[in-house]
Amino acid sequence: MTREELQTEVYKIFREQFEIENPGPDEDLKDMHGFDSIDAIELLIELEKILDVSLNQETKKDAMLHIRTVNQICDYVQELMPRQVPSNQNAV
Amino acid sequence: MNRRVVITSEAAITPIGDSKNTIAKNLQNGVSGVKPLRKDDLLGSHIHSGVYGTVDYPIEYDFARKYRKTMGPVSYYACKVVWDLLAKAGLNQDFISSGRLGVAFGSIHGSPSVQRNIYRTFFQDDPAQSEKISAVDYLKSMVHTTAVNITKMFNITGRVISSSTACTTSSQSIGYGYEMVKYGMQDAMICGGADEYDTTTVAVFDNLLACSTAYNNRPHLTPRPFDADRDGLVVGEGAGAVLLEEYEFARNRGANIIGEVIGFSCNNNGGDLILPNLEGICQTIRIGLQSAGISPETVDFVSAHATATKMGDVIESQAIEQIYGNCTPVTAFKSYMGHTMAACGVIETILTLYMMEKGFIVPTLNLDHIDPRCEGVNHVRELTRAPIKTAAVENFAFGGVNTNLIIKAFLP
Repeated sequence: MTREELQTEVYKIFREQFEIENPGPDEDLKDMHGFDSIDAIELLIELEKILDVSLNQETKKDAMLHIRTVNQICDYVQELMPRQVPSNQNAV
Repeated sequence: MNRRVVITSEAAITPIGDSKNTIAKNLQNGVSGVKPLRKDDLLGSHIHSGVYGTVDYPIEYDFARKYRKTMGPVSYYACKVVWDLLAKAGLNQDFISSGRLGVAFGSIHGSPSVQRNIYRTFFQDDPAQSEKISAVDYLKSMVHTTAVNITKMFNITGRVISSSTACTTSSQSIGYGYEMVKYGMQDAMICGGADEYDTTTVAVFDNLLACSTAYNNRPHLTPRPFDADRDGLVVGEGAGAVLLEEYEFARNRGANIIGEVIGFSCNNNGGDLILPNLEGICQTIRIGLQSAGISPETVDFVSAHATATKMGDVIESQAIEQIYGNCTPVTAFKSYMGHTMAACGVIETILTLYMMEKGFIVPTLNLDHIDPRCEGVNHVRELTRAPIKTAAVENFAFGGVNTNLIIKAFLP
């Protein structure tokens, strides 16, 4: 998945799941759109589905510290992707 | 500190409507909100009782996702009645968020439909499936979900009380809210209760042999409080809320005062958790009257708890007769909508306020032949034009909890 494709998917999640329309790529999602920790957990679940990976709990906790903007979300997912395993195998 | 506590706004969702005009019209026309139990993928087809006090009209919710995300169906009901209540109340947001407005609101067990999904996933015994339990499922289903979704939606920062005492849930909400304001802990309280459509509650009462089963093909003929042919309660859904304010605060802001709470009692039977208890009920009625500083003769209307169970109605009749004699008019509102569980106390309070305002008393529906054991009180048998100045709202719950609220038409 290219960066552009990933960003498109992230925007789609924000639009359909969180009713947040086209946030700026570097806008603080919490401050400007009320995107809170509950939303962040739900986002990670959505990303797992799209990427067909299973994030372990430590990875999720770490992600919670780093996903404040759309760009940060995309950076983080791209960084994680090689380290994760398909969802039909045990998470690491 | 002993302050006057007035009622300045109300809102309800009931099986017979969600506006004052509709509810009052349906009460006066003897319209029942009891319908056939809906089909579902649970126990519905195995339950003996096939009737339910049903909210079957569309309700428009205008809640943003940031609020919806932590709400199960029961919180939709709760937040909707509080939304309507605040829209009428005219409180400014500074006060709402001042810490001087609190919330007393509950349900009998949070959101059973959300809990059901959690357990369905849980019992699949598949680690991959357990991930499907949502991060917000607890917030949607916990016992105090209604109260805190209300505080979140309206940015309320005062005290939170979330009673969950079955049928006395919302009468406790009003009573404890009343005491919060009366004794100065808060200047205003939003008080109420809600319960969503739920067949598990029907199944529980069905297995206790407490549900109506003989009128499944004629739902509007049940429940039949105090009637010789009654055969049990009908579970229902709904919600209600009242706004209580300290009198001077309400007067100074020009609030529309629709009634006054002047007394409240709550006790426990101290024993059996199911059987009605004459001594316990008489005691809570007496304490309520003492709390209001009035004699029984002052009360000119009694809203009976009267669920239409075999023994409950007999014991309540005996208690009312012992305290009030056979003159005070008595109506069982559950005959119109079934037993709305956590919401029944507040809904019955609101219906009493409507009758106070408009000067009428409605009869108990389906009371065709009074059970001889319930004959000792003045059952209202037909629509009557009569002023109500002081009313008692009685509620009794599994667990042996009893409450008595005394409300009064407002006089400055």
